[in-house]
Amino acid sequence: MAIDTFIFVLISGIVLGGLYALMAVGLSVVWTTLDVFNFAHGAFVALGAYVAWQISQSAPGPAGFALAAALSVAFMFAFGFCLHFGIIKPFERSPNIVLLAVITTLAASSIIENGIQLVWGPREKQIDPNIDMRVDFGGVAIAGIDLLSLAVALLALAGLAVFLRRSATGRAMRAAAQNREAAELMGFNVAFLFAIAFGIAAATAALAGVFIGSLRFINPSFGADPLMKSLIVVIFGGVAQFTSPIYAAFIIGIVEAFSIYFLGLYWAPAVLFALMIAVLMIKPEGLFGNRQKTL
Amino acid sequence: MKYAPPFHRTNGLVPVIIALATLIVLPLIFTDTYVRHILILVFIYAILASNWDLSLGYGGVFNFAHMAFFAIGLYAYGIGAKIIGIDPWLTILLAPLASMAFAALLAAPILRLEGIYVILVTIAASQLLLKIVVSQSDITGGTSGMVLLPRLTIGDYRLTSDGRIGYYYVALLLLAASTVFLYKLERSSVGRAIKALRDNKYYAISRGVSEGATRLYTLCASAVLPGLAGAFYGSYVRVASPDVFGLSFLTITLSILLVGGVSTIWGPIIAAFAITVFAELLGEYGAWRDIIVACVIIGVVVIYPGGLFAGIQELWDALDSRKAALIALWRRRFQAGRRSELMGGPDRMVETSHGRIAVFDNGNSGQALLFIHGNSACKEAFFRQVAAFGDRYRIVAFDLPGHGVSENGNPRTDYNYEAYARVAAEIVEKLSLGTPIVFGWSLGGYVALEYAAAGNPTRALAICGTSPLGTFPDDMPLGYIASPHMELAGKRFFSWYEKRIYAAKTVPAEDAQAQLVRHAVWRTDGRAREQVVARMKTVDWPRQIRLMKEGTVPFAMINGPEDPFINHDYCAGFPYGNIWRGKTQNIAGGGHAPFLAAAAAFNAAFAEFLAEFETLKPATQSELATPD
Repeated sequence: MAIDTFIFVLISGIVLGGLYALMAVGLSVVWTTLDVFNFAHGAFVALGAYVAWQISQSAPGPAGFALAAALSVAFMFAFGFCLHFGIIKPFERSPNIVLLAVITTLAASSIIENGIQLVWGPREKQIDPNIDMRVDFGGVAIAGIDLLSLAVALLALAGLAVFLRRSATGRAMRAAAQNREAAELMGFNVAFLFAIAFGIAAATAALAGVFIGSLRFINPSFGADPLMKSLIVVIFGGVAQFTSPIYAAFIIGIVEAFSIYFLGLYWAPAVLFALMIAVLMIKPEGLFGNRQKTL
Repeated sequence: MKYAPPFHRTNGLVPVIIALATLIVLPLIFTDTYVRHILILVFIYAILASNWDLSLGYGGVFNFAHMAFFAIGLYAYGIGAKIIGIDPWLTILLAPLASMAFAALLAAPILRLEGIYVILVTIAASQLLLKIVVSQSDITGGTSGMVLLPRLTIGDYRLTSDGRIGYYYVALLLLAASTVFLYKLERSSVGRAIKALRDNKYYAISRGVSEGATRLYTLCASAVLPGLAGAFYGSYVRVASPDVFGLSFLTITLSILLVGGVSTIWGPIIAAFAITVFAELLGEYGAWRDIIVACVIIGVVVIYPGGLFAGIQELWDALDSRKAALIALWRRRFQAGRRSELMGGPDRMVETSHGRIAVFDNGNSGQALLFIHGNSACKEAFFRQVAAFGDRYRIVAFDLPGHGVSENGNPRTDYNYEAYARVAAEIVEKLSLGTPIVFGWSLGGYVALEYAAAGNPTRALAICGTSPLGTFPDDMPLGYIASPHMELAGKRFFSWYEKRIYAAKTVPAEDAQAQLVRHAVWRTDGRAREQVVARMKTVDWPRQIRLMKEGTVPFAMINGPEDPFINHDYCAGFPYGNIWRGKTQNIAGGGHAPFLAAAAAFNAAFAEFLAEFETLKPATQSELATPD
């Protein structure tokens, strides 16, 4: 394997990892705060991409792309915030919440997917970011959109980290995730905080969707694949820390890039799933996890 | 002792027979291929969802690779029947082996996992399987799947001919087999171990339930019928495509399970019909259809987290009490003649704080005798005493709330010993009975004790078929012999069979005159049985024990030595109070109701008891409070 091929595969792995981190972080925020697994996360990615596509149709140029991304993220935050009250809040106290949330998020995913099909039709679409720049990196040309997606992903994750660690709302969210009863006794509006967590998940999913939509074609049901990828990442990294799925995402991205190169497109997912099952059998709390969840 | 009657003696028998008969006849009415096709799909969904319930509901193992069992059955049929060329019928029977093998493999990685992690691993495992299936495109046809799988034939007869009627009946047979399998399994020791692990894992393990082995059994057992159904589905649609691994198929099946109700066998089957038929009715709306179905699913789950089956049961509950009240109304209005013929006089309704109560009063002027009947009986049980003592005594008997021709009460306030005792006290006051001699039978015995212990005027007390408590709560289980009948005493819903045996065990079946008493169980509000047993612990037993111990009210225990429920050794050794003649009086041949079954001997003994105490000066309130 030549050095430039190696660098190319490595960089595409890192770029992939950035996207996976963006997708998985929302899933892990919901999981750690609400203790449910959000099967609508893939649909969030798809809806975010479609909203951005719609806006970019009427706002051309790189500025238009930035506007589309920003509006899509804002819209998805509001969407996720509201959805929480419809599909998660009613079961907050139910002992069966894990199962009930599975079915309501699956149903929500079906609603979103079919809604996209009704609004935008089943034909494939692509967001044009209007960024044609290529960057030469150690003799390897990297597309500007790839680097942009990586940079934005890292920025968004850093912003989220600052929000969770420094802002009052972010700290309240972490408190609610660690001990719900205690947070309620301290006077926090936990339902509101959980809704924000759901909104953040949807917003990060939308951002991931915008970049996936500008890298490849999108169709109403394309969210299933990002969902599976985020699932692998979250399990692989564990959800004990907000940061652990991020490290895992880059590892998974690089592993995937290399297994695609060596084993081909068909076997790469199988390698990832096998890896994930192995991790779960040996260390169920994830590579970077411990038993205590802290967000 | 657990009371678990066989299926043919439960309330489920009649609905199941009706449903099965309908499903057998249905294709003969609807000859349309489309309707039969939908019903075949319904059967397959019902099999998938109800078997999934075994791991998801009963086992609490969130296995999301359940669809993979079906997919394995499907591909096993494709490979076995088409590529290897095994007989299609044999392949269908062999396919579950493949899905069980996968289930056994799956049990290993989830052995140490709990809750949501099990969901994730099983999803990953089924996705891994999907990738393997898709990658082996030489055999499995990759993403486009296998086509033109062999169809099922019997001799030269194709099961697709005559509008797929053959497939319809095979699918129905599979569903029936699946349901019998689940029903039997749930009640077996393995089924109990599965539920025990879900309910209290550590207690179950400490009682010798192996977690690993039980999880393995759970998964393998839940894989058998999906494997079979998958292979059958392959022979029916003749295509094996990787779509069956997809989230949408999983979503539909999971919705059926959750909308139907987890941890029930019938819920998913009912929901399979409801959801599939509902979705088909919306068939023309394309994407809207899926949106509407998803909204309805969320709606049902939000409003009825227990699922449709819980809703049906609630409806049934409401109907059962309503039905009991209607029978009471009917008997009050139209069967007054039968009652007054038996008792020698009419009854009337008396307003009490626990509802309107039917009271019989012979209106005589002598010493008042108050009779209190037992669980699921009625005041007419004492007709032989009315006949024997009616000329000398004023005899009053009443139907407890929810019994006989009294009104139903409020289950929270009216169906307990204290309320029953208050009803008795109010009747004594309203009818100006002075200081009655109180006789209580079985449950009525406790009511009588409670009545006296609460300080109500009592000249003397006699109980029959009741084990009074000497210490509480130790004597609760000692006083009775554990038997299925004791479970029935607190059981809310009686099947037809249970109503018959319950009545026959307390009132002799060959006694034609007592038919009215045996029929009382058909009218009894099930909630009365349920509540009075559930609220046993709130009774002030120590007060009753003090009453007996201090002996301020003379009391007699008159039993039948053949009484199958009470512990005779316990009654014989009952140490407290000035029991009449120093011990329990046994009336030979009396059974649980000596005053009915051996009326002559009972009446003779009872007459002596009455003669001894009718002139006694009654204990006053102050004497009861300060026995010294």
